Order: sequence, then C-alpha cells, then structure tokens
Amino acid sequence: MATVTFDAATRIYPKSDRPAVDTLDLEIGDGEFLVLVGPSGCGKSTSLRMLAGLEEIDAGSIRIGDRDVTEAPPKDRDIAMVFQNYALYPHMTVEQNMGFALKIAGVAKDEIGRRVAEAAKILDLEDYLGRRPKALSGGQRQRVAMGRAIVRNPQVFLMDEPLSNLDAKLRVQTRTQIAALQRRLAVTTVYVTHDQVEAMTMGDRVAVLKDGVLQQCDTPGALYDRPANTFVAGFIGSPAMNVVTGPAVDGGIRLAGAVLPVPREKLARAAAGTGKVTVGFRPESLEVAPAGEGVPVVVNVVEQLGSDAFLYATLGADDDGDVLHTADVVVRTEPRTAAAVGQTVHLRVREECLHVFDPVTQLRVD
Amino acid sequence: MTTLTSAPEQAVPAPASASAPRRRGRRARKVTSAGPLTHVLLGLTALLSVFPLYWTAVAASKTNAELAGTPPPFLPDADLFTNIGRAMEEAPIGLAIVNSVIVAGCITVGTVLCSTLAGFAFAKLRFRGNKALLGLVVGTMMVPTQLAIIPLFILIAQLQWVDHLQAVVLPTLVSAFGVFFMRQFLSQALPDELLEAARMDGASTLRTFWSVVVPVARPAMAVLAMLTFLTAWNDFFWPIIALTTENPTVQVALAGLGGGYVPDTAVIMAGTLVGTLPVLVVFVVLGKQIVGGIMQGAVKG
Amino acid sequence: MTIASDDPRVAAAAAPPPSAPPAPATAARRRRSRLTRNRWGYAYVAPFFVLFAAFSLYPFLYTAYISLHEVRLSDIDGAVFVGFGNYTELLQNEFFWNAARNTLTIGILSTVPQLAIALGLAHLLNYRLRGRTFFRVAMLMPYATSIAAATLVFAQLFGHDYGLINTLLEAVGFDRIDWESGTWTSQIAISVIVTWRWTGYNALIYLAAMQAIPNDLYEAATLDGASRWQQFLHVTVPALKPTILFTIVVSTIGAVQLFGEPLLFSGNGMTSGGVSNQYQTLGLLMYDQGWTNFRLGQAAATAWTMFLIILVVVGIAGLIARRRARAER
Repeated sequence: MATVTFDAATRIYPKSDRPAVDTLDLEIGDGEFLVLVGPSGCGKSTSLRMLAGLEEIDAGSIRIGDRDVTEAPPKDRDIAMVFQNYALYPHMTVEQNMGFALKIAGVAKDEIGRRVAEAAKILDLEDYLGRRPKALSGGQRQRVAMGRAIVRNPQVFLMDEPLSNLDAKLRVQTRTQIAALQRRLAVTTVYVTHDQVEAMTMGDRVAVLKDGVLQQCDTPGALYDRPANTFVAGFIGSPAMNVVTGPAVDGGIRLAGAVLPVPREKLARAAAGTGKVTVGFRPESLEVAPAGEGVPVVVNVVEQLGSDAFLYATLGADDDGDVLHTADVVVRTEPRTAAAVGQTVHLRVREECLHVFDPVTQLRVD
Repeated sequence: MTTLTSAPEQAVPAPASASAPRRRGRRARKVTSAGPLTHVLLGLTALLSVFPLYWTAVAASKTNAELAGTPPPFLPDADLFTNIGRAMEEAPIGLAIVNSVIVAGCITVGTVLCSTLAGFAFAKLRFRGNKALLGLVVGTMMVPTQLAIIPLFILIAQLQWVDHLQAVVLPTLVSAFGVFFMRQFLSQALPDELLEAARMDGASTLRTFWSVVVPVARPAMAVLAMLTFLTAWNDFFWPIIALTTENPTVQVALAGLGGGYVPDTAVIMAGTLVGTLPVLVVFVVLGKQIVGGIMQGAVKG
Repeated sequence: MTIASDDPRVAAAAAPPPSAPPAPATAARRRRSRLTRNRWGYAYVAPFFVLFAAFSLYPFLYTAYISLHEVRLSDIDGAVFVGFGNYTELLQNEFFWNAARNTLTIGILSTVPQLAIALGLAHLLNYRLRGRTFFRVAMLMPYATSIAAATLVFAQLFGHDYGLINTLLEAVGFDRIDWESGTWTSQIAISVIVTWRWTGYNALIYLAAMQAIPNDLYEAATLDGASRWQQFLHVTVPALKPTILFTIVVSTIGAVQLFGEPLLFSGNGMTSGGVSNQYQTLGLLMYDQGWTNFRLGQAAATAWTMFLIILVVVGIAGLIARRRARAER
C-alpha cells in the first residue's frame, strides 16, 4: 500500500503549445479512492497515464510512497491498470490473461494458479477461466480486466473509465461492486471518469480537472456544497447548478427586474471592480414564491420524473432593457404542483444555498 | 511487393471505411436477390474463367488433328497420362515442382516474418523518420521489376549463384506490399491499449511482439502467406533470368517447354497441367480464405 | 498513441513551465531513455530494409549508373561512360517507339475491358446470390494461374490450325484468323490473356469497396425514386471512384511492365515479339536488349524510361485524387 504524489507534474504533447496536464499537484492517501473527473480533453486520462508510466513527464515528478517513479518504466512502478476497453489479450484464456503479468515476472506456476483462482473467486469468474475474451459478456470482460489488476497485488490501482463500455444498468451495478471491492482490498486507487455521478458516488475524494489544470480536489460533499469556482459548480451535480451574472445592487443581484438577496459582505467583495456579481443556485434550492416576490421566470419545458419535476425556464430580460443576464434556469419542484408551460413563476433562493462568485476570476467568494 | 514481381499481383486499393458500416452494408445489400439473368451472366463468367484450365487437360490428351476436329473434343482421354510422361521427359517438371515448393516456401516464410516485424513498427511504434521510411516502402511498389534485374543479374553472376535457388529466393524476400499490408492490418486490429496493457504487465518489447502482436496478426499473416506463396509460385520474370532449365522452377520449366522445340502441343499442355495443378489444388482448398483475404486487403488498404 | 515515446526533439524543445524547471541531469537522462525505446522501431524494420537496400535500392541506383554507360553483358567491367547517350539513342530507335506503341495499345486493350467487366461483375456479385463463394473462387482461378501456364494455353486456343477459337469461328462461317502474325489480332489475343487473368481479381476489389458503401445511401436513392441502374450510376460508381482510380494505376503499372505474355505467345521463346515485332512490349524490348543483344546500358536506359512512364501515370493519378479530395472538402 502506498500514497501517490503528483508534484507539479506536467505533460506537454509534442507539437502542442498548451500543456495537456499543467503543474498538477495532488496527494493521494494510502488506501484512498481518488477520482479524476472532468470533460473530455481535460487531462484526466493523461494524468493517469503519467502515473502509469505510459506518458512522459515533461516537468515535475510523481512519487509512489517515498519512491520517485518519474523515470521508472511501468513495470517497475508496482501498479496495475484497468483500461477503458479492457485490453484483454484476445488469444489468451481468462486464466492466461490474469496470469500474464505474473508469468512474465517469473512467478512459480502453482503460485500463479493460486492467485488467479483467488481473484476469480472474488470476482465470480471461476466458471469462465477457460474461456477467451470473445466468449464473455461485457460485464464479464470488465471483471476479467479487474482480475488482471487484482492478481498482481499492486500498490496502486489505476482505472481509466472502466465502466464506459457497459450499459447503463450494469454500470450502476458494477460501480458499487468496484467501490466495495476497493474498500475491501484497501488498495490506493486512482479512477478516471467523465461522469460526475460516478465520481461522486465512488470517490473518497474527487479531483476536478479542466484544460489540464486542477480545479478542486475534495470530498464529494464538499465539492457539492462549496464549489471552488463556477466550473466546478456547473460540472458537479445533475441537473447542473444555475449560474448567472448580473449587476450588483443594494442588497443583492438584480435579475429580471427583481433583486435576489446576496449577503452584503460577499456582494461587496464579488462586485468590487466590475459592479457585477455571479451567483449560483442549485435546482433544488429554489422555491416558488408568491407573485410580487422573487425573480420571475417563464417556464419553457416541464420534465416530469415522478419523484420530482424539473422546470426549464428563462429569466426574463431586465426592465431597463439590460438583457445581459437572460439565462436558462432549471428548477426542481414538487411533481404534483408543477407549473405549466408558458406560465411565469417567481423564484426565491434559500439564502444558505446561494453560491457567490467573482465574475472576473470565477472564483468562489466566501 | 517484391522488387521482382509485377505490381498488380498484390497491391491493395485505397478506399477505406470503418468495418461497422461495411458489415451493415453487406447485410442490407443481400436483401436484393439476384435474378436469373444475374446467375446466367455469373455462370458464364465462371465458365470462361475455368474453361481454359479445363481445356489444358483436354488438349493434353489429344493430337493436333483431333483438336481441330469438328466438333472439337471436350473430354480428355487416357493419352493424357502418356503425354504427361512425355512432358516429364522433355522438361524436368518433377524437379521444377520441388524447386518451386522450396523457393515459394522460403519466400513466404521470410516475407511474412519481415513484413510482420516492419508492419508492426510502422503501425505502432514512433521512431524518427518512420513516415519517410514508410513512404519509401509505398514508393517501391511503383518500381518496375525491370529496374532491378540487370544489377541483380550481375550480382548473382559474380556470386556464381546462377541456377541456384537462393538467387531467386533472396531478392524476392523484399515485399513492400507485405509491409504495407501488415501495417494496415495492425493499425486497425491491434489496439494501443493492448500494447500498453502488455507494458503494464511488464512485457519487454520482444515479448510483447511474440505474445501479443503475433497472435493478433495471425489472420493477416495467413492471408499474406497465401498471397505471397501464390505470387512466388507464379513469379516469372526474375526466375527465367536467374535460373536455367537445368535447375528450374515450374515457370522456368514451362517457359522452356513452350519456348523450346517440342513439336507436340499436347506435350506442352500436359506439362502446363502438371505444373499448374499443385497450386490450383491448393487454391481450390483455400479459395474462400484467399478471396476473403483479397477483399479484406482491399477495404483495409 | 504508441508504446514508444514521442519524438524527443519536440519534447525537449517544449518549454517547461517556469514553476518547475527540471534539473538538467534529469532531462538528459530522460532523453536517453526515450532514444533507447525509439530504437526498437529501427530494429523491427531492419530485416526488411537490409534486404531492401541490397536487392532493391542498390539495384535501382546501379541500373541508373549502368544506363549512363555502354556495357556489354560479356564484359561488365569494361563500362564506358556515355552520358545520356543510351537515352538519346533510345529515343531515336524505331524499335523503342514501336515497343512503346505496342505497350500502349495492349495496355488500353487489356485495362479498359478488364476494369469495365470487373465493375459489372462486382455489381452482379453484390446481389444476394446462391453459390456466392463458388462464383468468387471460380473468378479468381485465373489469378492463381501463372503467366506461363495461361499464355501457353491461350497460345493453343488462338492457334491458327488447331486452335479452338478458330475452330469455332469456322463453325459459324468465318475464316480462320492468323492471330499471331497480325498486329491487331496478336495484340488483342495478348490483351485477352491479361484480361482473363486479372478481371476476377479486380472484380473482388470492387466488390469489397461496394460492400463498404453504407446502405443508407441506397435507401435514400430508392426513396428518391432512383432505379437500380440509376443507383449504380449515381451511388455506386461515385463511391467507387477512388478504388477505380487505384485499379487503373495498378493495372497501368502492370501493363507498362508486360513481359511474360508476349514472350511466350510466339511459341518459340523469341524476344522479338513476333516476326515484325508486332507485339514487342517495352518489357520484352528491354530483355531483348540485355539478354539477346547483350547491351546492358541500353536495357538499363529502357528500364529507367519505363519507370519514368510509371511515375508520370502515378503523378497524374495523384493529381486527380488530390483535386477530388479538395473538391470534396
């Protein structure tokens, strides 16, 4: 077991002027399940591959435990990886696939057999050991890929979107299995996904990346409750947080002719310089207010989910013709009392649920 | 493409398309069934394709006068075997077949090996100048056989290899087509992830090649082997320069038979039949695979 | 991505971010390890390129050298430099122009019908067929037949007195044709051999390309009211254009080198290509110069001229392909 440290690790692809991963600093605890999440092209896979030794590290370093592995080839890093497409050797049986690394490492035959059998038992693959990958279902292949990692008994597991090739139902099921397995084996795990739900449900901590830069790394709860910037605010949570910018007025932000109250101190700090403020509020922190109070929005679409209803609405233009903050807003309401399409609804935000951001730096203001 | 075989025999054309639409296209196109006219036309083409080969057997058992009769004969008779015997006396066809098996076998093994190694490197390894080298390989496919034979002839004359099989084998091992074919196949069939997985599993580059690349490449290697064997067996230009009828391959022996002073057409035809039959038998047995290989190569290219 | 690392020059040139400059020693060490891994590429291509250098590249260049010299097969070391003399002599040589003309006409006579028939056959093979594999294998049988065997059989079939073709012609009331001695007849006969050997192969190439055409296009064309023939013209053929261009190039390269068929068609192994050279091709002429007249310099010049012709053909095809690609963009 070991910790993993990214120390200002940077990767610049040849013929590219922007780093794919830019001075990444990240400390992953022993036995921790860390998820790297972000939109495609954000550098999450590159970060993982740098740790794996499949990508060069152009600057900075990476340590596993106390050992600097920046220069080490993959096989000397004591890590195992689960690939997105599983990368099972098509001509080998499940058993041979799982044992290949051990065979190369020169482990004795009966020892290989024992460890493969053990992993197969954990993963419920005992009946399939003699099969080729082609004869397995997607879920079974995924488990073989896991098994291949487990058998090596590494210090760190690396997983690169291991669930993205499964159908939705199986993905949810496998998600919990992997999380449970990781807790049980207590092996430090770095897990890459583009799916924020996967990130939130699986990770001890979640690191959000964008354009090669780490945005925030925290527990799922903290990411949700205190996003460090508007990007994280918009990325984490489904449906996404509503983020709007408007002129700061006395006591709050003016939206569609009404004023949404913002705590005075935060407002002052965010609006300093531009006179504007960016606020964020989640769909579930909105309440329908009586007419005359709150911010008016026009309902465009109503999504009935049974347990909830989501209103997709538009903030009206400002009275004085300032249309700068015409924006779409998502509201969660009670399903039975949901508004109708075309109706104007007045919204109120519970104050403790209002996030304030600097409109220039996009950073959170506390 | 070897430097010593004609270009069209092996080249693959350029259109490319993902395998998914192709599969879909194939399934869907089958819905349009062929009418009787289509079957008749195809049947006729098949007949025209096979008839000259069959005629070889007929002509091999008849005298010229019999062949010119009205109506002409359409069945071979027992003289076939007599004439085969005479052909074997006129030309060393038995030796030629043994030589052709050796030559084509060596060329096939060597070509497939070299092509798989180089094709893998071009498909998956990045090294300085790889694109230029690949361009060189592709460019080689345009070079006519004629361009190499004079120096090669001088070379084998100096090495005193004339009439020795290595004179045919060695120059023909160079197959730009094979390299290109394997590169195209491996670029698609071998996911980068598989190589990375092998790296993570601690496999050395050589180990990765033997344990991962070769198993994945096997179907393409088989196709390349069949095509190479066929081409090598049928290769004509260089062998008739490098060898004589003293120690010929089948094609050299046939050229000797046809170009010599054998008066009897039936004997020439008998020799042609014996020289062609082995490869035709192989072709009929593996025909489906060869057809598949050529079509696969066409789409991959 | 590749298992080898990326180009070390670029990576080394990329400016490290100011916050974390790597120690120079580290950078040097890293560069070395990358180079080691990159070298594997050379190791894998080495067997091919060693053979290539020995049996392709060296001969090509040496042929160029010889083409600038007067060399006799009997006295290879006694080469005399003649500059472009062999080439100018070649261009003034009527045999060369005769061979070039023959190569062109036989090339057209064999390539055009061959590809046209192949296209039609591919279209037929693309229908749902019973005995699909049988038809495909049968059509590929000529491809498996050697040039020597095919030519010997066809020489018999085209024979004046005993040939089956003349027998049939006579049966339907025509005169016997002396295929071998006429210019057109001999060239047609040779073209038939080439067409016979290659049509099935090209049909399979076209068939493969046809099967890669997404069926949506045909469905859309059907909805637009296109008949089958219109679909063939307006969907299949345009989609096949790159393949057709490719097969034209390949067939042309083959046609320029045509050698075995005219050599064996005469039935006496003469390199003259008929008594009045009526079917002597460039390939045959080159062999004639080198191995009958022992003038290697001349033969080398002919070989290089053939290569230049091929380069021109491929160049034109490349231009067409590029213009098409640009038009599609």
